[in-house]
Amino acid sequence: MTEPILEIDDLNISFYTRKGEIPAVMDFSMKVLPGETMGLVGESGCGKSTVSLGIMRYLGNNGHIKSGKIKFMGRDMAELSDDELRDIRGSKISMVYQEPMASLNPAMKVGKQLSEVLTVHEGISEQDAMKRAAEMMGAVRLPDPDRILGAYPHQLSGGQQQRVVISMALLSKPALLLLDEPTTALDVTVEAGIVDLIRDLAKEFGTSMVFVSHNLGLILETCDRITVMYSGEAVEEGDIKTVFNKMRHPYTKGLLRSIPVPGADKYSRPLVAIPGQLPLPHERPVGCNFGPRCDHYVEAVCNKGLVHMTDLGNRHRSRCERIGEIDWDAEEVAGEIDEPIVVGDVVVSVNHLKKHYSISTGMFGGGDTRTVKANEDLTFEAREAETVAIVGESGCGKSTFAKVLMGLETATDGTVTLGNLDIAHLPVEKRGPKTVSQVQMVFQNPFDTLNPSMTIGNQIMRVLEIFQIGDNDAARRDRMLELLDLVKLPREFATRMPRQLSGGQKQRIGIARAFAGHPKLVVADEPVSALDVSVQAAVTRLLTDIQREHRTTMLFISHDLGVVRYLADRVVVMYLGRIMEQGTTEAIFSPPYHPYTEALLSAVPVADTRVKKRHVVLEGEIPSPLTPLPGCPFQTRCQYVIKGTCDSVVPPFKDMGDGHVIACHLSEDILNAMLPVIELEAAPAAE
Amino acid sequence: MSEYIGTGEILLLSVTRFWPTWLAIAITLAVCWPLRERLGVFGRLYGSMIGMCGLIIVLFWVFTAIFADAIAVIGPLEQSFAAGMKKGTPGVTDPQSGIIFLWGGDNLARDVFSRVVHGSRIVLIVAPAATLIAYMVGATLGLPAGYLQGWSDSISSFLANLILAFPIILLFYLLVTPEVRTPHPVDLGLFTIPWSIPIGLAAVFFLFPIIFICTMWFTKYENNQAKLISYLGVTLVIGFWAYSALVFNSDPFGVLAMEPNMLNVFAAVILGSSPGVFRIVRGLTMDIKTRDYVAAAQTRGERPWYIMLWEILPNARGPLIVDFCLRIGYTTILLGTLGFFGLGLQPESADWGSMINHGRPFVRLANTAHLALFPALALMSLVLGLNLLADGLREESMKD
Repeated sequence: MTEPILEIDDLNISFYTRKGEIPAVMDFSMKVLPGETMGLVGESGCGKSTVSLGIMRYLGNNGHIKSGKIKFMGRDMAELSDDELRDIRGSKISMVYQEPMASLNPAMKVGKQLSEVLTVHEGISEQDAMKRAAEMMGAVRLPDPDRILGAYPHQLSGGQQQRVVISMALLSKPALLLLDEPTTALDVTVEAGIVDLIRDLAKEFGTSMVFVSHNLGLILETCDRITVMYSGEAVEEGDIKTVFNKMRHPYTKGLLRSIPVPGADKYSRPLVAIPGQLPLPHERPVGCNFGPRCDHYVEAVCNKGLVHMTDLGNRHRSRCERIGEIDWDAEEVAGEIDEPIVVGDVVVSVNHLKKHYSISTGMFGGGDTRTVKANEDLTFEAREAETVAIVGESGCGKSTFAKVLMGLETATDGTVTLGNLDIAHLPVEKRGPKTVSQVQMVFQNPFDTLNPSMTIGNQIMRVLEIFQIGDNDAARRDRMLELLDLVKLPREFATRMPRQLSGGQKQRIGIARAFAGHPKLVVADEPVSALDVSVQAAVTRLLTDIQREHRTTMLFISHDLGVVRYLADRVVVMYLGRIMEQGTTEAIFSPPYHPYTEALLSAVPVADTRVKKRHVVLEGEIPSPLTPLPGCPFQTRCQYVIKGTCDSVVPPFKDMGDGHVIACHLSEDILNAMLPVIELEAAPAAE
Repeated sequence: MSEYIGTGEILLLSVTRFWPTWLAIAITLAVCWPLRERLGVFGRLYGSMIGMCGLIIVLFWVFTAIFADAIAVIGPLEQSFAAGMKKGTPGVTDPQSGIIFLWGGDNLARDVFSRVVHGSRIVLIVAPAATLIAYMVGATLGLPAGYLQGWSDSISSFLANLILAFPIILLFYLLVTPEVRTPHPVDLGLFTIPWSIPIGLAAVFFLFPIIFICTMWFTKYENNQAKLISYLGVTLVIGFWAYSALVFNSDPFGVLAMEPNMLNVFAAVILGSSPGVFRIVRGLTMDIKTRDYVAAAQTRGERPWYIMLWEILPNARGPLIVDFCLRIGYTTILLGTLGFFGLGLQPESADWGSMINHGRPFVRLANTAHLALFPALALMSLVLGLNLLADGLREESMKD
């Protein structure tokens, strides 16, 4: 067996805070062989980032490696002096962080920052370093290296910045590259490009990598091996295929069951949420950390004492006391299957909606005025009890559209009809409590959605008061308690402050608030994307249950096509303020596609080894909405672009039947001849 | 000849004479210790060395002000008529009454120690009260400037910059020029009020707390008539009673009154510090208004003033508390400055700035330096304590 690049043995890392010692990583072992990519996956607070920082021995003031060995290329990192460590960091081990903008010095030109790596670590001249940096620009597929090297970080887009950071990490040809959520801050189509790049670079340079992510799909697409972490411990480790198909830990199994996979929707295979929530670091149970949430928990076995990793051969290990007793191939207990919802009449209809912003560049409103077309010619409708998903990347205008619906902005042109009322030109202060309560919103960030200085109960009561529900405080208090029941939270929460709640619980309160006034329309702006995977399924489930019960129309804004496919009845795909394609979920996810939808589908990482994806990677970035393009907005990145047509004429809406509309210049024949992007391989014989 | 006590005794007595203060500090800290979990960031101060030092110094002066009568040996204006007590060095004993002038006597043979102790009362009432009103002025203007932006922001920011840019000492001198400060009676038909520029300024500034609190009640209980009327009523009655008493010195009951000099000081200090408060509140508002809970309030159709006062302001309290502590320190110095220039209260007043000013001609000789030294030390220690407390609070609120 070859000498591993990185060997971690029984690592224990603790943080020392006001509350005393908090173990962040316990009993952690890992081996990374040369050229291997190890994925480190887990939910927030599971210790995956701490491990990667621990490898660098960079734990800040209050972090401390209590015991265990980290051997890098045969040398024990603990025995290195500060000078030697500094020598290794950035040259032998490099790191790529989540926020590219925060990793680059905003006051230094990119070229200077890159060459610094080489002048410091290899002591070569500035000119040679610049030359090497320019070569590296080519390797990370950044066009026009000279322009980029002479630019300041803020002049580059997010994707370009992250490529610069990756090239910086690779410049001194490190033996180990640590990637900590390198694509989380980026859009999916840009992410797909970066993931592609990372995979190719690994092959080209033979660098070993540790890829830290919360996204199982991403790990599957990039890594050879995977370590699943839960609450500070590695619970399962093995080859990517083994872990995904023959998992031997209930947490891994639960995790995979709680994310939507292609071919499943809320009727055929509802998600199964892992019950409960992550234990806080100082409230971990005795024995197996996952015990209290596990279906296979057995008293006096699972909570007896420390559970150790069991070797299953073939470098597959799992931390479960009952590996031998659980029937791993048992038919998955599917969640409750609901009757399909019968959709009712049209509730909201959007007609040729436009929202333009004027931006003046001069002082005092003078100078040129430029128009940003945030929404252009939006037309669609949503029916009672229907879930319509609006899909698109940042800058596509979905948030502006939500603001117009909520009355925080008024439309430039067009109508939004709710019942008999046009609300497109009616700001929220002119709507009256009745209309306001009928259009409500669930916000994205659970940590931001509740006022931190007001109790949960008072916040809900305030909503009821504003919506004029209930005649007096007592009636409203009763209604508030009912709403807590509705979102399945204990009534004691009424007196709690938001900081005492977990992310998922806060989001439940957000849902209760939105449904307080029996709304006709709820706009959900990525309601679960900021939550941990194991909690997402439960919150999604709750949201759809309440929606079904109240027959509320839901506009589900998201960039996560997996969730959209699972949840939505119909999908609207937007790009740069325009609708590119709309239709039933079935129609959107199968050919004919709009070229943008095709790329989007290919870009989304899928956590299922059976899925074969056709590779469509978009070049470049989303153009700035400040410089509107004549013709189709997607022309700059489209692989089918027709010169002379797409860059001058706005594409027509082509009706492909059954409400499926594609805005494209391609002929119907070409569209119809497209191959599916996602295909499920035949199920393995074992199942 | 007068008798003197030794340096060691002076030091010992300087500590023991403050026994009510020490006792009160000990009781406060002991009582708060079991409650520290529930006191939020103040409870966490127990873990911060610097914050604790600051808190103890601040509490020292607070309790000294409260128990001033018990600590001070004689009144602040009482003079000794024995020989050798004028400018007597620290430790001099009055041969007639036997009272030890612990920190010496001043040029009018008054006890410096007692004056410093009594002076703490003036400082600790004026500085926090003026800062509080400056906060209400700054917040009432800063919230809409940050939240609504646009013209209200342009105008109030311009005004704030104007005041900040004008040499503040010159402004103070102008405010206390006899022509400017002497009130003229103005007949308003129903009743006559005294009027002058400082009174006018104070009339504007003291209106802000009433407006601020009324807006708070109105936005919160808009849909609850009974509560709204009772809260507004109580606020308006108490507010305007205090307003007429403090600003126009015309309390119908004759309970509450403020010296005209004190009113000048208030007007000057509020004018000097509210632009700073305005800026910090405006900045915090611009940051907090991007949060989702503000958007949630907007989408349920809340009034802008509700959002500003109940959604934004409470969540800006962390930085504001820290700034408040620092600003009391600045205000204390400002008060000292006013006193030092003779612009403040009556010349015989025992406030620390005036005392330093009085001691100024005598600093040249080592054995009369104590006239200015002790009030200066008092001023320094209070401001230092407030700064340390602010540092501690900031440090603890950033940790988690």
